[in-house]
Amino acid sequence: MNENRRQILEMLAAGKITADEAERLIAALEDAPAPSNGASASEAMPRLKVKYLRVLVESQDKSGPTTVNVRVPMQLLRAGVRLASLIPAQAHEQLDEALSRHGVPLTLSQIKPENLEELIDHLEDLTVDVDAKEDNTKVRVFCE
Amino acid sequence: MTPNFAVIGIQTPDFRMPRLWLPIFLLWIPVILLSPLIFLVLVAIAVAARTTIWRLIVLCWDVLGGLTGTHVQVSTQDSQVLVRIL
Repeated sequence: MNENRRQILEMLAAGKITADEAERLIAALEDAPAPSNGASASEAMPRLKVKYLRVLVESQDKSGPTTVNVRVPMQLLRAGVRLASLIPAQAHEQLDEALSRHGVPLTLSQIKPENLEELIDHLEDLTVDVDAKEDNTKVRVFCE
Repeated sequence: MTPNFAVIGIQTPDFRMPRLWLPIFLLWIPVILLSPLIFLVLVAIAVAARTTIWRLIVLCWDVLGGLTGTHVQVSTQDSQVLVRIL
């Protein structure tokens, strides 16, 4: 138990504050950012390792509801990304052209394996929610 | 860990298949028998991709191991397709 919480409980025990006030104070303490002693909160608390990328699509049309539920292991994504490093250098130019034609201005030769690892790591924070009311379609992309 | 089973389920208005549990681990038998041929194919790919055979084997192993846990399910009002790799 931290010092602030102990003080609040002591004040409550001494009758200086009511139970409601103690509850509010404890809630305020929990909402406040944790004091940093050299390390940030994200470093202090270990992040939960996500294992899957999940894509959920729910659609409602004339023929009835359609749902798509896809769960892809992050390990497979990582392996797939590493497989991309096998693409020969000669093919990069053609791929760059094709990607830019489709609105993805990307230069594959500038993407290094460490960038891809970083990309996958940041994918863990990704959540995409699309709710198209006119099409009655909901799309959710998240990691779990 | 490499996948051991694949679960496949298909259901349409006219056809309803019970969920099939396919023992993928049995594929190791033909893989071991065909390993010299597979090795030659991997060497050819490694040469074409200008990488080492060892790196290619590690990559293939990673992809194979990464398949475990894959789940794909598509359902409509009267049809359903399910593929799970365990």
